[in-house]
Formats: sequence, C-alpha cells, structure tokens
Amino acid sequence: MNNEMMSIIFASDNETKLNELTIHRTTASLPFCGRYRFIDFTLSNLVNSNITTIGIVTRNNYSSLMDHIRMGRDWDLNRKNSGIAVFPPYASNTSRTMFKGKIEALYGILDYIEKATEDYVVLTNSNIATNLDFEDVYKKHIAAGADITMLTYSSHSTSSRRVLVDTDKSGKVVGTRITSTLSEDIAEVGLNIYLLKKDLLISLITDSYERGYTDFEKHIIQQNVAKLGIYAYHVDGYAAIIDDVKSYYTESMRILDTDIRNDLFYRCGKIFTKVKDSVPTKYGAGASVRNSLIADGCEINGRVENSILFRGVVVEEGAYISNSIVMENGRIMKYSELRYTITDKDVTVTEDKTISGSENYPVVIVKNKTV
Amino acid sequence: MYSNKKECVAMLLAGGQGTRLYSLTAHVAKPAVSFGGKYRIIDFPLSNCINSNIDTIGVLTQYQPFELNEYIGNGQPWDLDRLNGGVFVLPPYMKSAKSDWYKGTANAIYQNIDFIDKFSPEYVLVLSGDHIYKMDYSDMLDFHKSKGADCTIAVINVSLEEASRFGIMNTKPDGSVYEFEEKPKKPKSTNASMGIYIFNWQVLRKYLIDDEANPDSHNDFGKDVIPAMLNGGRKLYAYRFDGYWKDVGTIKSLWEANMDLIDRNSGLNIEDASWKIYARNAAEPPHFVGDHADIINSLVTEGCEIDGTIRNSVISSRVEIRRGAVVEDSNIMPGAVVKEGAKVYYAIVGDGAVIEEGAIVGEAQDNVPVEEVKITVVGPGAVVKKGTVVPVAAMVD
Repeated sequence: MNNEMMSIIFASDNETKLNELTIHRTTASLPFCGRYRFIDFTLSNLVNSNITTIGIVTRNNYSSLMDHIRMGRDWDLNRKNSGIAVFPPYASNTSRTMFKGKIEALYGILDYIEKATEDYVVLTNSNIATNLDFEDVYKKHIAAGADITMLTYSSHSTSSRRVLVDTDKSGKVVGTRITSTLSEDIAEVGLNIYLLKKDLLISLITDSYERGYTDFEKHIIQQNVAKLGIYAYHVDGYAAIIDDVKSYYTESMRILDTDIRNDLFYRCGKIFTKVKDSVPTKYGAGASVRNSLIADGCEINGRVENSILFRGVVVEEGAYISNSIVMENGRIMKYSELRYTITDKDVTVTEDKTISGSENYPVVIVKNKTV
Repeated sequence: MYSNKKECVAMLLAGGQGTRLYSLTAHVAKPAVSFGGKYRIIDFPLSNCINSNIDTIGVLTQYQPFELNEYIGNGQPWDLDRLNGGVFVLPPYMKSAKSDWYKGTANAIYQNIDFIDKFSPEYVLVLSGDHIYKMDYSDMLDFHKSKGADCTIAVINVSLEEASRFGIMNTKPDGSVYEFEEKPKKPKSTNASMGIYIFNWQVLRKYLIDDEANPDSHNDFGKDVIPAMLNGGRKLYAYRFDGYWKDVGTIKSLWEANMDLIDRNSGLNIEDASWKIYARNAAEPPHFVGDHADIINSLVTEGCEIDGTIRNSVISSRVEIRRGAVVEDSNIMPGAVVKEGAKVYYAIVGDGAVIEEGAIVGEAQDNVPVEEVKITVVGPGAVVKKGTVVPVAAMVD
C-alpha cells in the first residue's frame, strides 16, 4: 500500500500562547527533547509510514523551519518523485492576504493536492509529540469504511482549544465539543490529525471556502458529524499537544520517564532530525548528573538534576541546574543556579546568578540573551 | 565543456585484515571499527579529505567489506555524494586478462589505474584507513608542489626507541629523502612515515606498471615503490606533520587513542568546529542519566542509558550501564550492555557485547605506568556470563 497517502502539515498553530518561545520561530521548529524540533516527530512518523509527499503550510517566522528542513535529506525526503514542498504564507492564488485558518490555507494549495498521485491525505498540526504508524490508521480507516478518521488520545481539556470527542461502540464519532475550559476529567481529545480521501477533502474545502467558513474543526468536523462517517482512532501510547509554556515544560519533564521516552522514540519507528555532527558529551571532574536527558556536544563540569540539556550546552564548575531545560549552545557559568527555568538557544548565564521559576510558572529566558 | 578532471584523487587503503585487533575485526574491516563513541576509524581520513577540499576518494576494500560498504553508502554524511567525484568503494574485480585479490598496497592502486585515469588527476593522495589524526592534506599538497616533488611522504617525529617499528625517512636539510629504511634496527633518524603519500600521478602510474612486471616485488609502497623511486633518482620529500597522529592497529593503541579523546592535552581535539569529524548518524535520542549514575572524566554518546559509575571512559552510542555497574578506564563500543553490579576495568568492550550481572572484566591498574597497562577485550556480540571473572589481558570472543 505504498504511497496511498500524502500529507499536509500546518506549521503554525496557537503560537501566541507559547509567547517567548515562538518569537523567532514557528511552533513546528520549536526545540524539544534535547535535539529535536517539533516537526521532526510528525515528519518521522510520516516517513516511517511510507508517506513521502508532504506539503508544509507556513504562516510566519518560517525561516528557522526552512533552515531546519533544508531539502528534507535528514528524513530521507530528498526524492526525485514526491518529497517536501514548503508553502510560504502568501501562496494563496485568489487573495493576497494572510490565510485565516486551515480551510483557507488548504484552499490556497488545492492545485498541489489535486496534482499529487496519492488518493488519501493526512492533515496534521505540528505541535504534537507522538510516535505513530499511519499505515495502521489507514487500515482501520478502510476497515471501518470511514469518510474521515480523526486521531484522538486520552487527556483532559485545558485552557487552550481542544476538541472533545464522543464515540459509539464502533468508534464512530457521534458528537464533538470544542472547548477552552480547563477540566481534570479524562476524555477522548482530538490530536488535530485527520485522514480522509483526497476527493472528499477537495470538495469539503471548496464548499466551505465558498460559504466563507474558516474553522476546520467547527465547520468541517463538527457540522458533518451526522452527515459523514467520522471515526476516531485512539492513539494508545504517549501523545501530547504542546500549545503553551506550561504544557511545553510539563511534557518535556515527562520525557525523563524511561517508559514514556522509549514510547516516544521507538514505538513505531525512529525519530530523525537534522544531523549536526556534534561530538560526544564530555563529563569533567566536577560533573554530577542525575535523572537528566543530555544531548551530544555538551561539556559538563557542574551539577545537573531533573533537567534536559540540548546540544552544545556548557555547564561550568560549581553551576547547578535543576528542573530546567537548557536549549542549544546554552552556557551556564560558574556558581550560577537555574531552577524551573527554560533557556532558549544561545543563552549565557554569567557567574553567580540565580534564576528561579516554579513548576507551574517556569521562567523563560529568550534566545541570544545574556543574563 | 563538461570535464571529469580533478586535481587530486585520494585512494584510501581499507583492505587490511587488522589481525592485531583480534576479535574486533573478526567480522568487520579495520577501518569500520568503532572509535570515540560515535565514529568509525575511517571517519577520520574521510573527514580530513572533505575538510581539505578533496572530494574524489576511492576506498580500496577486500577484507570483510559489507559493513564498511554499507557504512560509506553514497558518502552523504561526509558531504561526498557528488555529481562529479564523491566516494567510490573499490573491491578487487574480474578483468579480462587476469584477476586477483589486492596483493599489496601498490597492487591495490595498480588494479585501479583505470579508475584514477578517469579523473585525469595531476596528483594522487594515498591514505591508510587505520590512523586517527586530523590533517590538512591541502597544506601537504602545497608543500609537494612548492618542492617540485615526484612524491611527498608525510612523516612524524617519533622517539628513537619507537623508530625501529616504523618506516624511517632519512632526509637532507631541505627535506628531500635520500634513504628509506623499513623498521631499521639502528635508526639514523626519527622521521617515521605515516603511510600518507602524494604522488605525481603520471610518475606513480609508470612505477606501478614496472612494479607489477617485477615478479620479485611484494607490490608494497614502503617495501618496493618508494625504494624504486629513490633508486630511479626521483625527487622524494618528507613533509613533517606535528599534530596528533596514532596508528590504531593494535588493541593497546586503539585503547590509548580512545583515552586521548578524554585528555584535553592529547592534541586530538575533536571539538574543533573548524575541522569537524563527520560520521554516519544513528538517529538516537539524547542519552539518559539515571538517579544512581556517577560519571566523571568521560565521554557519553547519544542513545545511552546510564545508571552506574563511569570513570575515564568512552561510552559509545546506545550503550546501557545499569545500576551498580562500574566502568573505569575503558572503551565501551556501540550497543554494549553492562548489567547490574558488573565491573569493567581497562577494557575494550566490542559492539553489542553483554557483560552480565556481577561479572568482572579486567582489573584496575591505576598504579601501573601506561606503557605497561594490559587491556582486556570482550569481542563484538560476546556475552560474559553472570558472575564470571575475565582475567586481565584476556580476549573473550
């Protein structure tokens, strides 16, 4: 069943709530888990499922994304046939204004979708961390005779927009609720990943666009629950949607759990990212590291606990990092302390500084900053 | 007009069996042996080539070539996937007249004269696949051109005691070579050949053909071609290299070179971003350090799970060091597992080997001078059973 499916990835979603972390980049290129960008999970899942025609719709700040993806070689997507196509924000051929939502964005690239030889389309956001086999999704989709399959996971609603899904015993969606109200109740929550036939997508998008609809979840999913066969595909392993600093921090820390980490990195296939040829990490005489995830190219001479260090981080002697995330090329100088802190790329914390957030409100130090 | 022409083509001799590495090369060619956590030995000459702007490389293989071939692939990790040039794996092949294995280093190049001719190079750089070093070959090529040499041989200064283990170049003050002695009992100088040669291709081509016609020849550069060129009155120069260089053809030297990665003062500075060493990437997540880990003076690579004690060691990708395990002064190769309570001292543990619970490999030799240290080897894929003691200097297959 090679090449039955193509995919469209939305590189930007809910960015405003990630505040400082997405000033310089799209959600898709937000660093995660020590050496990855968010889009690596989506791209790797697609490639591991033999989906190699991939369009990426960007909205703003997409240069970091382009720099990361280049020609797609690190995901084996530098193909003669198929491969990656990146659509910059003004690709829409009918209007010269920025698209307002997924419906308009898809309408703007209908040509690309129509021309592709694949019969099915996977639509996905790029702020999702999980390890998926889309071939299995496809099999279930066919077996159920579904019009649309939407991927769901067990979670609860948050203050960010979530789609709660009710199904009958067969997995058919009988109702959806779109909410931004925080709740502790566990429910089936949409992952914003959909599989449907290309022809159906084209007719739904054309119709919705002509009616002036803009909201995919509301106008295409919710309004069609009774008319179309929409089925839920429950993702059983680790899955997370990251759309604010709190969820970014919490999900990062969950990765320190070995079972969750193995699930995310190995369940259905490996996760690929841009190769940077870093050297192994060097532990010096003053190193003391516990319960932490450490990427290559670091130099550690201080204490690190319950933390994530990205590539090329330097921890000088006497420095103490706990419950924190230090992104690429961070430098924590002598006798400085970080607690519940996220430092973006290329941040330097000079000697004898203490930066302290709390578990619910981690401090974020923006890119290139020297403290 | 389209032209294949390259100024300099590199020929990398990767066919050696590496018998002195014992079980580490039982199933792979020596250049494919793991090194430094995430590298193979061949990454060093390949990276040196691309960093020196040499983008056409023939890799001569014949012993256990499959893993090496797969590793090199299309050369992409070294930026050697080129439209014109790139990296070529060259095993011996059937020819109409006669076919043969590579009989010696010179014969290996002789059998690939057609390959080299395709690029009409002025110069051919001959390299070994079993040395760890960082060297700018373009500087050596500039030296070769400035001397108007027919052949330039890279040399490194060794101690007088060591000199009798090497091919020694005796030179005049201007650097020209007047005599070559292979492993001399009484060395006259300490300029040891590094096995790195630059030849004017048309000159070498003729000497290779003559050498092949000589039934008494060993078809070896050091033993035959270099002496023949000296006797023929050709201009040979020694190019002095002062950086870090190590022949990792023995267990001890391979262990030492790994230890040199940890020592800041060794001169083998692989962190230098201006001279990166490239390797095929394994797509592993960052390494995880557990609650019981204690790591000092060591290198740890992506994909590892560490919950034990590590001192002065190089831990390669995907290695597991479990709770209560101790690894000291050792090189643990990719995918090996050191289980709960096992202890490893002064050892090389091969790819995928398993040291089961409570086993002890080697022994601590902290007060022994480094020249006398004895290394214990657990071969690739070997299993040291629960509670077993592997004595110092033993080799487990």
